[in-house]
Amino acid sequence: MPPTGLEPARMNRKKGDKGFESPRPYKLTHQVVCINNINFQRKSVVGFVELTIFPTVANLNRIKLNSKQCRIYRVRINDLEAAFIYNDPTLEVCHNESKQRNLNYFSNAYAAAVSAVDPDAGNGELCIKVPSELWKHVDELKVLKIHINFSLDQPKGGLHFVVPSVEGSMAERGAHVFSCGYQNSTRFWFPCVDSYSELCTWKLEFTVDAAMVAVSNGDLVETVYTHDMRKKTFHYMLTIPTAASNISLAIGPFEILVDPYMHEVTHFCLPQLLPLLKHTTSYLHEVFEFYEEILTCRYPYSCFKTVFIDEAYVEVAAYASMSIFSTNLLHSAMIIDETPLTRRCLAQSLAQQFFGCFISRMSWSDEWVLKGISGYIYGLWMKKTFGVNEYRHWIKEELDKIVAYELKTGGVLLHPIFGGGKEKDNPASHLHFSIKHPHTLSWEYYTMFQCKAHLVMRLIENRISMEFMLQVFNKLLSLASTASSQKFQSHMWSQMLVSTSGFLKSISNVSGKDIQPLIKQWVDQSGVVKFYGSFAFNRKRNVLELEIKQDYTSPGTQKYVGPLKVTVQELDGSFNHTLQIEENSLKHDIPCHSKSRRNKKKKIPLMNGEEVDMDLSAMDADSPLLWIRIDPDMSVLRKVEFEQADFMWQYQLRYERDVVAQEESILALEKFPTPASRLALTDILEQEQCFYRVRMSACFCLAKIANSMVSTWTGPPAMKSLFTRMFCCKTCPNIVKTNNFMSFQSYFLQKAENGAVVLENQYLLRLVIELYCLPATCLQPLYPLILKMVVRKLDSCSTMPVAMALLRDVHNLCPKEVLTFILDLIKYNDNRKNKFSDNYYRAEMIDALANSVTPAVSVNNEVRTLDNLNPDVRLILEEITRFLNMEKLLPSYRHTITVSCLRAIRVLQKNGHVPSDPALFKSYAEYGHFVDIRIAALEAVVDYTKVDRSYEELQWLLNMIQNDPVPYVRHKILNMLTKNPPFTKNMESPLCNEALVDQLWKLMNSGTSHDWRLRCGAVDLYFTLFGLSRPSCLPLPELGLVLNLKEKKAVLNPTIIPEAIAGNQEAAVNPSSHTQLVGFQNPEDDHLAKEASCNISAHQQGVKRKADTPLGSPLEPGQILEKNEDSSKVKLKIRFSSSQDEEEIDMDTVHDSQAFISHHLNMLERPSTPGLSKYRPASSRSALIPQHSSGSDGTPTTKPQWNMELARKGTGKEQSPLEMSMHPVAAAPLSVFTKESTSSKHSDHHHHHHHEHKKKKKKHKHKHKHKHKHDSKEKDKEPFTFSSPASGRSIRSPSLSD
Amino acid sequence: MADAAATAGAGSSGTRSGSKQSTNPADNYHLARRRTLQVVVSSLLTEAGFESAEKASVETLTEMLQSYISEIGRSAKSYCEHTARTQPTLSDIVVTLVEMGFNVDTLPAYAKRSQRMVITAPPVTNQPVTPKALTAGQNRPHPPHIPSHFPEFPDPHTYIKTPTYREPVSDYQVLREKAASQRRDVERALTRFMAKTGETQSLFKDDVSTFPLIAARPFTIPYLTALLPSELEMQQMEETDSSEQDEQTDTENLPLHINTDDSGAEKENTSVLQQNPSLSGSRNGEENIIDNPYLRPVKKPKIRRKKTSFLLLTSPGLHVPCRADRR
Repeated sequence: MPPTGLEPARMNRKKGDKGFESPRPYKLTHQVVCINNINFQRKSVVGFVELTIFPTVANLNRIKLNSKQCRIYRVRINDLEAAFIYNDPTLEVCHNESKQRNLNYFSNAYAAAVSAVDPDAGNGELCIKVPSELWKHVDELKVLKIHINFSLDQPKGGLHFVVPSVEGSMAERGAHVFSCGYQNSTRFWFPCVDSYSELCTWKLEFTVDAAMVAVSNGDLVETVYTHDMRKKTFHYMLTIPTAASNISLAIGPFEILVDPYMHEVTHFCLPQLLPLLKHTTSYLHEVFEFYEEILTCRYPYSCFKTVFIDEAYVEVAAYASMSIFSTNLLHSAMIIDETPLTRRCLAQSLAQQFFGCFISRMSWSDEWVLKGISGYIYGLWMKKTFGVNEYRHWIKEELDKIVAYELKTGGVLLHPIFGGGKEKDNPASHLHFSIKHPHTLSWEYYTMFQCKAHLVMRLIENRISMEFMLQVFNKLLSLASTASSQKFQSHMWSQMLVSTSGFLKSISNVSGKDIQPLIKQWVDQSGVVKFYGSFAFNRKRNVLELEIKQDYTSPGTQKYVGPLKVTVQELDGSFNHTLQIEENSLKHDIPCHSKSRRNKKKKIPLMNGEEVDMDLSAMDADSPLLWIRIDPDMSVLRKVEFEQADFMWQYQLRYERDVVAQEESILALEKFPTPASRLALTDILEQEQCFYRVRMSACFCLAKIANSMVSTWTGPPAMKSLFTRMFCCKTCPNIVKTNNFMSFQSYFLQKAENGAVVLENQYLLRLVIELYCLPATCLQPLYPLILKMVVRKLDSCSTMPVAMALLRDVHNLCPKEVLTFILDLIKYNDNRKNKFSDNYYRAEMIDALANSVTPAVSVNNEVRTLDNLNPDVRLILEEITRFLNMEKLLPSYRHTITVSCLRAIRVLQKNGHVPSDPALFKSYAEYGHFVDIRIAALEAVVDYTKVDRSYEELQWLLNMIQNDPVPYVRHKILNMLTKNPPFTKNMESPLCNEALVDQLWKLMNSGTSHDWRLRCGAVDLYFTLFGLSRPSCLPLPELGLVLNLKEKKAVLNPTIIPEAIAGNQEAAVNPSSHTQLVGFQNPEDDHLAKEASCNISAHQQGVKRKADTPLGSPLEPGQILEKNEDSSKVKLKIRFSSSQDEEEIDMDTVHDSQAFISHHLNMLERPSTPGLSKYRPASSRSALIPQHSSGSDGTPTTKPQWNMELARKGTGKEQSPLEMSMHPVAAAPLSVFTKESTSSKHSDHHHHHHHEHKKKKKKHKHKHKHKHKHDSKEKDKEPFTFSSPASGRSIRSPSLSD
Repeated sequence: MADAAATAGAGSSGTRSGSKQSTNPADNYHLARRRTLQVVVSSLLTEAGFESAEKASVETLTEMLQSYISEIGRSAKSYCEHTARTQPTLSDIVVTLVEMGFNVDTLPAYAKRSQRMVITAPPVTNQPVTPKALTAGQNRPHPPHIPSHFPEFPDPHTYIKTPTYREPVSDYQVLREKAASQRRDVERALTRFMAKTGETQSLFKDDVSTFPLIAARPFTIPYLTALLPSELEMQQMEETDSSEQDEQTDTENLPLHINTDDSGAEKENTSVLQQNPSLSGSRNGEENIIDNPYLRPVKKPKIRRKKTSFLLLTSPGLHVPCRADRR
């Protein structure tokens, strides 16, 4: 077992084992979700859930579930009314009074808030008290059925309603609703255990309008009309244990398409789009077959559904047995460019069906395994479908992305281990957010995380071979499917959860190889490797002296030690060498195989066995080296900067067959603007058999080189003659051929037959030949392939002009010739006889026009008018106007042309040809335009905001972030603002003012509580604008009463720790204030609030203790408690008068709520006075339930040295399991506590005064001890403390009367 | 009566006859037209083999004939005006007749039928003398089936054509150039027109007319225009591959049926029960019937349903894998 299994704290994992012990004191086996009313007009949902749970500990008296946004009416357990409390600290992360505006503080508070409701730590927003009548039942570990009635009004997240405002019934209007969200977001639309690790079977029922269809997970058992026949109920059963987070729903007037190849697969789309749906999904069965074949495992669910909806949250979302896609992925047969993209999305979602939905994860830190595997098998699909070149190109692209990101931000950690939650050990201290929870992650980080995960999976494959890799997957899947067919047995179902250690164990079992170093390097550590390579050839020894240096000190880098492959192409052939990279040695001697003998005319063998003739005149006469590549297989996550002579790069470009090598050499050649480079690039551009992406990047490189060589460049502008030759008519070179994208098919076929074309790989070649031999009717299945080739041709056709437009003459203007050429291309573009749409091509032409724009000559602040318009620009504008107007009459697919036009207009504005004005963009950015247009327009507005420093536009954007109906657009605006910020932290800007800080702060603090992704986006923006610390534009904090305390503390200990404490405290404080927002104005809330905050504080305390930090004495829970109580009291008071009428929502019309309150008070109180509470729990408990010791192992409760611990444990019942596992007694105090609370209930309020008294005492004590900052506040509020039980009671009374 | 009418019969069957009498007072005019029509009706009846007819029925038939002819005239006039002309031409009449459900092809044969009766010219014919501007050549004589009192053929120069031949432009470059500029001009004219008639946006504050941009107007359902191919493109698609298209339209209709069935089923549930399976069956014709839960009929509510969830949880056989038929 690899050491990763040793993270003792993370999960209570038994040694060696089957693994998984739930962080919750119960096991969920079955859940019913019934939504019996959906109102599209009001955007509301009414329903109930019923959870069947088995307690796993005796004396379970509270059950915590997740629920957000939902209004809960009533909770019953086994038909008995149960009291419950609802509290969500994430609603408002920091207390609103606070003037703290630093991000460190916020991030800590936010992480704490998320932990406080994290189901993986056994927490939840909804806390249900088990009625006393059932205690006995629970002690026997018998089944409990929790029935919760809830409703949802105008949800802001989780469920998204799309209701177009046109005439007609909802079905006619195409109104629909679907679930969405980032990571586990199911709690937004029904109460559940929103964790990927809590599996259960499901029964889902949705009653919808008769004209609508409800699509959900599992098998549709039946559809039944309601009695009035106006609605129907869809009954779904999901018998495969599934996590709540993988449950989804889509309701709308969908058109239904049963997949013609697989009848158990059903596709849904919005009205009128069926023909598109048919075309789009026609390929899906092949993806199915591919995955099933490589995994040698059937698709685990008995059916599969794809739903295409509008206003999608993400393009692809995979849930158990169904995937939700953006409707914008649909396309007709005429659209070539979208085809491969859509297919990728389909394949991606399907890969996630196996790993992600069917196999779920144990904890957040195991996420990388799932993302890695699904990304990896998706890569295999890519390789098969689009060819090896495309695959390698993709890998390189992903590698470049992750390298760039890590070097920028400082590392992506796949498998974070949180040692006891010490903030000090925060594995990602370089980031401005916590990586402890998926919900606190920046979206960009998460994207990169997924990218890294699949790259690492590929590294593992390199190590253990693909065969073993697939065997491991198969093993995981077959274990899971065996488990899934079992009746409920908790340990069996946990086989369906994947953990890092389990995965690694499978690998070592299957392959027998030790991949520990690899895991340690890439999984347990963040950062990439940065190599600098250079070489010298020692002629005497005939040795290549290679020097490889590493940079492992900059952020985001790490040191690499181990094997590194180097490929040397010599005259005699290509040779691989494996170097051992060690700590100290930088130099490596590599003996050369061939002598320099350039005079002998001989073919040079390449890596792939091919032998080619080369013109060797360019090379160094003394050296036999043609080119050198470091880590050609990309088996290290690295960035290589390698120095070799320009002729070597040119050889590499011309003769190396690997596309990655070609792309690398193109990049390197940018630095060598010589005629030789130009020739090499032109040659590659002309080579039809060369991979199209290489040729595309060659275009751009050529443009750059031409610009650098502007003074010496002779002949026509770069690429023009080439383009003319390739795409223009023979007789009239200025006229482009009429578009007939289909004719490329016959073109390819002819070539294939003649054997003139060496296609990228054998697979393609074979298929093309097959294609040619088949009668026309059989073309259909091979259609995608033809498309693929056509796309390649097309891309090179449209790329060249785009790149050409980047050419500049000596005056740094785009040569007139080029502009005329592009205008001619547009003019003569003729698509009448083409079977395919040319919208992408035309859009690219507009991009080319935009590229040709150079800054206006005279920019001395003169007003831009029509009169002083440059004649070239006039021509460009003419075209843009015409295109944009034509779009209104004959819109193109996805409005690609409008998008390009808007971009081009912004370029003209930016270059000073046209007055800079955001009005046009703002009108296009409005809701109601196609999303692509909106994004393009918003991008222009964002850019305008930056360039013109417009406060008004920034406000407009921020307003849209808050109010736009489409979550994706809101997310995107934040994202664009972050990428292209109006100012950054070190910049003076008139925009940077206090109001903006407050506004953004409010946005991330409370304005985005309904959408994790959005909140994280807001945090990112805040970080970009103001950095981690307090924004400089804010005045120095005035010495106010409340915040002062924190400030003082910060002064005292100017490290990050007080910050952290402050953060946590804040989080602890605020729950009380949130309760108001939630809409459950119930006195119980306050108690829960206290309780929750207490938990946090206790947890915090534990943390502190372990950290052994000398800074400040540990925070005593009592103190916080006190404070909470105070603030909650305040709340109570405030609310008292106004909230009586809201009591109808009251849930606890229950017997013993009085006792409940007192119990909470007790609980809160106990730990605060260690001295006093010492024996009480033990004694009271033992008095009541003498057998308690049998349940726990050591019963150390009676021993004084454990008291402190006990007390803390008691309060920290919810604290993370890792904490518990570190202390063998964990179980005991827990049980002690619960029983104790039982007793306290019976003792009722005899204790009250007593307790209060104690509490007060203790409070003072701590105040002195810690110099806590809340003195003043507490003093202010002290009177309320006394009245606490009373007020609690008095508020309760109306609800009792109900 | 009929006989008398037949013998005295005169007048033309066209609408033009009426217009020629426009100089007479209204009453006179009506009477004359009426009389002519009566004659026509009577002669037709005679031709059909009637020996006598009641006055009322002849009146009715006359009335019908009159309104039929008026309708032809009215409609032809609309067609003519639609194409921006003032004088109806033959094609207008033809289109009108076709539109009225008349088989034009049968007309020549009918006009040349052997047993037809020729009605003599109406008594009141003071033909307006059209000035003969220039006479070139001989006017063509009437063919035998046209009564001689009908107007003469126009002058030959109005219809005689002398075709001339000129080498068509086949130079590729010129053609492409022409096609391109023509398309551009049309596009520009069209967009300018749209811009003139509607709301516009401008890139220059001082000038709104040089580069008028049609104002952006949000759609209620934006994805439809963005994703669906335009009519033009659809047409192209149909032209290029009709076979594929057929298949598509075929299924296109299907869910509509289902949808309407579903909603209609509120009243007649039984019909749906029969209809739906047949629909799903017809889709894949030759194959076995697809068993997809979404194609199954909607069940009627049970009388009493209590605790559905529990019942279903325990009921066996719900998990029916149906993948066997795949591949």
